[in-house]
Amino acid sequence: MAKIVGLPKLSPTMEEGTLAKWVAKEGDTIDVDDLLAEVETDKATMEFRSFDKGVLLKILAEEGETLEPDTPVAIIGEKGEDIAALIEEAKSAGGGGSESKSESKSDSKSESESESEPKSEPEPKAETQKPKRPSGDRIFASPLVRKTAREEDVDLADVKGSGPHGRIIKRDLDAYLEGGGAKRQAPSGGSGWERKPPVVEKASQMRKAIARRLTESKQTVPHFYLTIDVDASGLVATRKEMNANLVDEKVSFNDLVIKAAAMALRRFPRANASWVDGEIHWHQVVDISVAVAVQDGLVTPVVRDADRKGVLAISMEVRELAARARDKKLKPEEMQNGTFSISNLGMYGVQEFAAVINPPEGALLAVGALRDAPTVRDGQLVAGKKMKVTLSCDHRVVDGAVGAQYLQHLQRFLETPSTMLL
Amino acid sequence: MREIRYREAVREAIREEMEADERVFLMGEEVGHYQGAYKVSEGLLSQFGEKRVIDTPIAEAGFAGIGIGAAMTGLRPIIEFMTWNFSFVAFDQIISNAAKIRQMSGGTFDVPIVFRGPNGAAKQVASQHSHSVDPFYTNIPGIFVVMPATPRDAKGLLKTAIRCQDPVIFLEGETLYNVKGEVPELDEEELIPFGKGRIGREGKDCTIVAFGRPYYEAMQAAEKLAADGIECEIVDPRTLRPLDIELLVESVKKTHRCVVVHEHWPYGGPGAEIVDQIQREAFDWLDAPIHRVGSLDVPMPYASNLENFVLPTVERISDAVRRVSYAK
Repeated sequence: MAKIVGLPKLSPTMEEGTLAKWVAKEGDTIDVDDLLAEVETDKATMEFRSFDKGVLLKILAEEGETLEPDTPVAIIGEKGEDIAALIEEAKSAGGGGSESKSESKSDSKSESESESEPKSEPEPKAETQKPKRPSGDRIFASPLVRKTAREEDVDLADVKGSGPHGRIIKRDLDAYLEGGGAKRQAPSGGSGWERKPPVVEKASQMRKAIARRLTESKQTVPHFYLTIDVDASGLVATRKEMNANLVDEKVSFNDLVIKAAAMALRRFPRANASWVDGEIHWHQVVDISVAVAVQDGLVTPVVRDADRKGVLAISMEVRELAARARDKKLKPEEMQNGTFSISNLGMYGVQEFAAVINPPEGALLAVGALRDAPTVRDGQLVAGKKMKVTLSCDHRVVDGAVGAQYLQHLQRFLETPSTMLL
Repeated sequence: MREIRYREAVREAIREEMEADERVFLMGEEVGHYQGAYKVSEGLLSQFGEKRVIDTPIAEAGFAGIGIGAAMTGLRPIIEFMTWNFSFVAFDQIISNAAKIRQMSGGTFDVPIVFRGPNGAAKQVASQHSHSVDPFYTNIPGIFVVMPATPRDAKGLLKTAIRCQDPVIFLEGETLYNVKGEVPELDEEELIPFGKGRIGREGKDCTIVAFGRPYYEAMQAAEKLAADGIECEIVDPRTLRPLDIELLVESVKKTHRCVVVHEHWPYGGPGAEIVDQIQREAFDWLDAPIHRVGSLDVPMPYASNLENFVLPTVERISDAVRRVSYAK
């Protein structure tokens, strides 16, 4: 007996998913747990595996469509089954195809404005005022008219053409505009965008997730920022020593900063807290979210128990997570439930920056570039290395003095890395 | 400003350049003792002598080739074709030598030569003597093609042509030689650069691109159309290679409509080239397809009534303007 297969909810927070790629084809024999398709969710590109056994009789959703969970995407059954009734059912369930098409239409306004066929409008009045065109006929209009219509935002379906083949020519559009012909919307004040409109791109699921989460963070979390300038000479020396004793692996400054930040949280746990619905959650683990830039956004895989791991272990783990993040192969749980974030833009030469907190975490450390700087040592001015770090704090759980004390601990670890052994 | 005839303007240009530069000489059939088949070179033989105003036998391939050789070795010849129809027997010299020597010699030789003479129909000289040769010569890279309609343009452009370091095809008109027009005084030297067109008449409703003889038919059509409320802008590109496409596009962007008028046959040629460039550069400003008015696609008939039917007429130009203006 054939059945409709709906789009599964592939992560706890998935509100919609984009069908990135069908792996199975119509007519394929499907076993339970066979890969049907790849779906782009707010977290990652997820595998959509079959819960059913049978033949993939019909694909209902096209690649590229963005759909809500449970939207019918396929029909699986036995070979040769009559599925006409099921296709109808899927359609009425607002399934793949019809819904997304209407969405794409509203998105691609510029296309429909010049070439659209006369459409029946909800108000019968508007309908009767439209010039009569045999249905299916495209609108003929001179290039000048099309350009002017784009600029003035006029729907050419409303304009009667007097040229050959009913071509809409300049005087037709002039008459229409003089007669108070309705523009599709109020003029936008003639911004420069009208001359060269921006290229419109649909946001990926990741982009949407970034937009939603960071807007929520900036709007609801009372941020404040504390910056210290760290003498990084010790850090440089320590890294050099470590790498001199490593054969194949190398540790980076960022690995050392992760370790130091985690150690400082262990030593001073008041900065390791979250505000959750009127309660304060004091974390018992130190799980560091590491911001990783990927193709069209960023993700934050988590290094668990970073305070208990060695720098090399952290280094290898970060590298492995970052590689999979770039391939969009991270599992959602690998990006959830961090307690503190680190974001490093130092490699781009950024001296310091104030980052947006990754909720529900209570704080985030933004790491600037390692730079040559004059340093006073034993009363002498010497050439040294410095690095600025900025702590973004959620004031609901981390007050100014708390943040400052955390930074004192962090500064000691960064300036004298051997104290992390104590 | 004084008014002189087209032929006098051409003669003044030749005389002034010959006076200014002794390397310049004139060569062709009947240019000397007969004072020019169309009296363009009248008086030049007595002023400059037989070394610089040279009568040739009826041998276009020969004297075109002699001219090219002279240009390569330091002189600045003006080669007159009695009419451009006769240039066909010299075509190989022009396309294979004049246009190619600079490139093929790796820049060793310049060919500063002017080929000039009357182009187009000339009232009942029949099919073999009525060619508009501009499509043939504008197709060739390596040469300039100049086609002035007015005495002033003829003088200013011919002076530029004679000073040009590359071969120039200079297309006059038998029916243009008697046209009178304003030309600056003798002591006011005017050089008109190649690649710069001229607005012959301003208007807001339709651009007419016209060059050579039909420029005057276009002007007449514009007068008639103005009486009906259609204001045409006449743009004369003056040189076909290089072409002042900026000026043409600027005009079409203003008027939104365009008719291209030319005497040559309708298939291809500078008329088609101009349409091609305008539609590409001004597509979004066009309210109608660009139309062309040229000679009909037949060898020129001898009978006067048929010749007038074949050439671009005021009526056909007016009709084309009305069509692109969606006017009755």
